[in-house]
Amino acid sequence: MAKVDLEEIFAEARFRAIAICLIVGAFVMMFAVLIIYLYLQWNADIAERKRVAEQGKLAELHKTQAILQAAMDNLERSNRDLEQFAAIASHDLQEPLRMVASYTQLLAERYGSQLDDKAKKYIRYAYDGAVRMQGLINDLLAYSRVATSDFSSQPTDSQAALEAAIQNLSATIGASRAIITHGDLPTVPSDALLLTQLFQNLLSNAMKFRGNEPPRIQISAQERDGEFVFAVKDNGIGIEPQHADRVFVIFQRLHSREEYPGTGIGLAVCRRIVERHGGKIWFDSAPGTGTTFFFSLPK
Amino acid sequence: MKPIEILLVEDNPGDVDLTREAFEVGKVCNSLNVVPDGEAAMAYLRGEGPYADKPRPDLILLDLNLPKKNGSEDLAEIKADDMLRSIPVVILTSSSAERDILKSYELHANCYITKPVDLFQFVKVVQAIQDFWFTVVKLPPS
Repeated sequence: MAKVDLEEIFAEARFRAIAICLIVGAFVMMFAVLIIYLYLQWNADIAERKRVAEQGKLAELHKTQAILQAAMDNLERSNRDLEQFAAIASHDLQEPLRMVASYTQLLAERYGSQLDDKAKKYIRYAYDGAVRMQGLINDLLAYSRVATSDFSSQPTDSQAALEAAIQNLSATIGASRAIITHGDLPTVPSDALLLTQLFQNLLSNAMKFRGNEPPRIQISAQERDGEFVFAVKDNGIGIEPQHADRVFVIFQRLHSREEYPGTGIGLAVCRRIVERHGGKIWFDSAPGTGTTFFFSLPK
Repeated sequence: MKPIEILLVEDNPGDVDLTREAFEVGKVCNSLNVVPDGEAAMAYLRGEGPYADKPRPDLILLDLNLPKKNGSEDLAEIKADDMLRSIPVVILTSSSAERDILKSYELHANCYITKPVDLFQFVKVVQAIQDFWFTVVKLPPS
C-alpha cells in the first residue's frame, strides 16, 4: 500500500504544484500585462499632451504671423500713401504757387510805374512768400523721399561717397574757398546714394555757417564697439548747446533768413538717413570756434 | 512766311496767358492754338467737330495734369497714331517728379520741360523752346 500511496501523493503534489505555478504564473502575467498597459497608456498620454501643446504653439505662430503680415500691409499702404502725397505735392501744389509767383512778378513789371513804394513792397512780400513755399515743398519732398525710397545696404566705400559729395558741391566749395581734408575712411554697409547725400548736407552746412575765415573741414572715422563713428569737423560759427535738439528737427532754423538762407531741412534729412541705417547722429560745438558732427553706422 | 503752328494743351488760363505772351516775344513767326483738356487735344489733332479746319500743328506743347484725359494718355495716343506720331511733343508741366519724367520719355515724348516758378526764367524757357525747335531743329515737312 505504501508504494501506491506514495506515487499517488507525489502525483497529486506534482499536480497541485503545477496548478499553483500556473495560477501564480497567470497572475504574474496578468500583472505584467497590466503594468505594460498602464505604461503604454501613460506614454500615449504624454505624447497626446505634447501634440496638443505643439498644435497650440503652431496656432500661436500662425496668429503672430497674421499680425505681422497685417502690420506689414499697413506699413506698405502707409508708404504708398506717402508716395502719393509726394506726387500730389509735386503737381498740384506747384501750379497755384507758380501762378502767385509769376503774376505778382508781372504786376510789378507791367504796373510798377503806377504803383507806389508800399504797393511794390506788398507785391514783393507776396512773391517772396510764394518762392519760399516752393522751396519748402521741394524740401519736404526730398525729406519724404529719404524715408520711402528703396534702401539697399551694400558694402560702400565711404571715401568714394565723400568724394561724390565734394564733386556735387564743387561750385560752393570754389566760391567759399573751402579746404576739405579727410583721413582713411572705411568700407561700411550702407546705401551709397544716401551716404553721399549725408556727407553733402553736412559739408554744405559747414560751408554755409562759416565764420570770417574760409571753411576748413576735416572728415575722419573710427571703429568702435561694432560700429563706425564718422566725424565732420568745421571751423564755423558753432551751435549753442541749448539748441542741441532743435537743429535736427525739420524746418527748425536758428537764424533769420537774412543771415543764412535755407529752409532748415539739411540736418533733419541727415538724421533720417542715419536712423535709417540704424545709427545715431550728434554734435560737439564751441560757439565761435566750430562744430564737429558725429554719426555712427553699424558694421 | 508761314507761321509755325503750335498746339498748346493747357487747362490753367493763367499759364495760357503766360505762355502766349512769352511766345509773342519770339523771333520766329508763330501761331499759338490752345485747347483746355486732353479730349479736346485729340479732337483738334484729328480735325473733329469744331476743329475741322484747324491747321496741323508743327509742335505740340503738352501739360500732364489735364482734365478729362491726362497728358500721358494723349502722348501715348499721339505716338501710336501713324498720322500724328511725327509731330514733336514737348511736355511742359509743373511737375518735376522723376516718375513723370521717366514715363513721358518712355511714351516717346520728344523732351520734358518743368515750368520754372520764376516768371523771367519761364520766359527764358519759352524762348529757348522757340530757339531750339524753330531755328536749330529741322521740323518734319508738313
